[in-house]
Amino acid sequence: MQIKLQNFTKRFGDTTVIEDMSLSIASGEMIALLGPSGCGKSTTLFAISGIHRIDGGSLHFGDRDVTTLPPQDRPVGVVFQNYALYPHMSVAENIGFPLRVQKLNTAEIKRRVGEMAELVQIGNLLKRRPQQLSGGQQQRVALARALVRKPDVLLLDEPLANLDAKLRLEMRSEIRRLQRETGITAILVTHDQIEAMSMCDRIALMRDGQIEQISTPSEMYERPASHYVAGFLGNPPISFLKAEANGKLMLGAENSLPMPQGVDASGPITLGIRPEHFGPQHQGPTVTGRVSFIEPQGREDLIDVTLPDNQRLRAIVPAGHDFALGQDVNWQVDLSRTHLFNAEGNRL
Amino acid sequence: MNRQTLLGWSFLSPALMAVVMFFLLPVILTVVFAFTNMSTSTGILGGEYQISESDLRRLPAAGVSNESVEMLAGAGYAVRPETLALFASDFGDERADELDALHGGAVFDDRRAIERALKDLRRDPIRSVRDRKAAAEMFRISILGQRYPTEAAFADAIADIGVPDADRAALTEAAYTGWTFTTQNFELLWELPATWRYAMNSVVYVVLTLAFNVSFGLFLAFSTFYLPTRTAQTFRAIWFLPRILPPVLYVLMWQWLTWDQGFISTILRPFGIEPINWMRHTATHAWTFIVLINGCVGASLGMILFSSSLRAIPETQLYAAQVDGANRWQQVRFVLLPQMRWPILFITSYQTLSLLTSFEYILLATDGGPGRQTEVWALAAYHTALSNYGGNLEYGLGAAYALALVIIGILLSALYLRFFNFRELVAKPRIEQ
Repeated sequence: MQIKLQNFTKRFGDTTVIEDMSLSIASGEMIALLGPSGCGKSTTLFAISGIHRIDGGSLHFGDRDVTTLPPQDRPVGVVFQNYALYPHMSVAENIGFPLRVQKLNTAEIKRRVGEMAELVQIGNLLKRRPQQLSGGQQQRVALARALVRKPDVLLLDEPLANLDAKLRLEMRSEIRRLQRETGITAILVTHDQIEAMSMCDRIALMRDGQIEQISTPSEMYERPASHYVAGFLGNPPISFLKAEANGKLMLGAENSLPMPQGVDASGPITLGIRPEHFGPQHQGPTVTGRVSFIEPQGREDLIDVTLPDNQRLRAIVPAGHDFALGQDVNWQVDLSRTHLFNAEGNRL
Repeated sequence: MNRQTLLGWSFLSPALMAVVMFFLLPVILTVVFAFTNMSTSTGILGGEYQISESDLRRLPAAGVSNESVEMLAGAGYAVRPETLALFASDFGDERADELDALHGGAVFDDRRAIERALKDLRRDPIRSVRDRKAAAEMFRISILGQRYPTEAAFADAIADIGVPDADRAALTEAAYTGWTFTTQNFELLWELPATWRYAMNSVVYVVLTLAFNVSFGLFLAFSTFYLPTRTAQTFRAIWFLPRILPPVLYVLMWQWLTWDQGFISTILRPFGIEPINWMRHTATHAWTFIVLINGCVGASLGMILFSSSLRAIPETQLYAAQVDGANRWQQVRFVLLPQMRWPILFITSYQTLSLLTSFEYILLATDGGPGRQTEVWALAAYHTALSNYGGNLEYGLGAAYALALVIIGILLSALYLRFFNFRELVAKPRIEQ
């Protein structure tokens, strides 16, 4: 089911949270709404589910205008951050609830609940209460409940936020598997870039109620549209250097880099270099500085290099090197993979 | 005992004192009073010993022989220094001296004999019949109407007039005017048909009012739950008014609403409906208004408690129910109501207890009328012990009524404590919901 959100505006009282936002999602696609808290991603999700009313704009599921439909009438399933399971019902009753309110007969409900429970692999827990389940199991119940109605759209609001690290990994692939198997159109709201990049076909990165960039995870990582996007994605994060463009990129008095190919700029700009594109193991022009911090990570070390003009670059260096704190180094930059942004923060 | 325990007790002591003074002591006194025949006529302090004319009739039933009764009734007339002195002050020393000389120490069995003796005085006989009668009365040694402060004094007195030993104990008991310990209150409660009626009235009152309280409280809670916050608060505040209004004023407004020239009658008159006292016309009218009057007060408590427990249910559950396709009724029926089990049970049990013992609104509204048809148990206890039309307040019997309530109340409380398992109710919440 294709989803088309056009000129969407949402206000709470006098505060406009989202203004004039448009987003379109292809059928069977899984898209992430990624952004820091307060950027309006959950609000967008709640508007699509119908829980919050849309103050302006329109929402189409396929050809059907659902802008003013109440949530009960929208073909959506929602998984909430805290799962919102009904504590007084057993797992089977929780999963069967959407069917029960449709007044389906008991046998049919039982059959479909069983089916759903098998799909999310909790067939042996049907008699338990939510309190007797682990976080991951509750998560699966919530997924089953969201899917049992056979919705056209699956909405996931920070579904992994309450899980511990190991379960998070497991559920990440589990949710993706379910989405692929059912071929459902899905929207994942998250503040975690890894979740967004690993689970989704496309990412919509949001900032202050606006979509900053929407593209595939690799495209977004390799060609961030703005300073903000570049800074949001990547762990350890990208290093930004203030530079002066005048045919070359001047980094203070001592260092300079040639202009990357196909870029035309002059005056103050920002140069973004990801840690994996800087270090002794690369080919390219060099930058001189002094090692100011070493953080061992096992397979590799994170090394901070402070340039003479006090700007800092971070490098990922394979373990087994013999660099020491305070050592002067002259390391290469993979120039073709650096990012240049103008004063407004847009990509050059 | 270390300092912390001591500190704990000292912090507890005001509460303990309150429990003792306002619960334990009244309960103990109720138990004690219930086993006495205290009333206005016995007083609450000790009594005296007295046999009056009217008592004579009930003496045989109390085990006193007829011979003794006759002895008490007839009594006699004795010429003794103390009776002579009385006589002398009214009829002169000379006559007294002569009578002393003639009959000193004599006892006459009947009045005619003493009157003859008075008539036969040689020096100055009493000729007037009326005077003679008055004079004869002065020699009378009957104990009827006499008060004896102690049992010993009474024993002397009946020994004097010659009551046989066998009757003395029964007579002394019958003569006692103070209260005694007895179980007759409970026998009386068991036997009186009115008792059963009051019990039934109480059941009707508690069940109907409770049903109204809980269902109306739930209705108010749910309806205000779906309203915008400000409107809901205003609405709740309005429904809270009956509770904060002084009961007398509150019931007075109901009276004004329902009396035969009141609001309802006035409104209905143009429709050809005869004005009646809507509150007291029949028992049904009375019950309806008693339930409404109590219910509007009680429902507000339910409303507050139910509203707060509704707001404690996470909002996302409602969101989930919406996207699960549940309409508003289904949200209430399947998601909210089942999670309100404890507050509903709590209100039910709490109000059962408080309704059982409360009677102030009935007292103010119908005072148990019409007839005694809305007289509930607690009101009967009050009427019997503290506000009786006849004027003879039967503290003992009233306490027996109250004791029944105390016992039911303690039993129910113990049951609820077990049932609610308070330790579980205050259990720490799980961190992961």
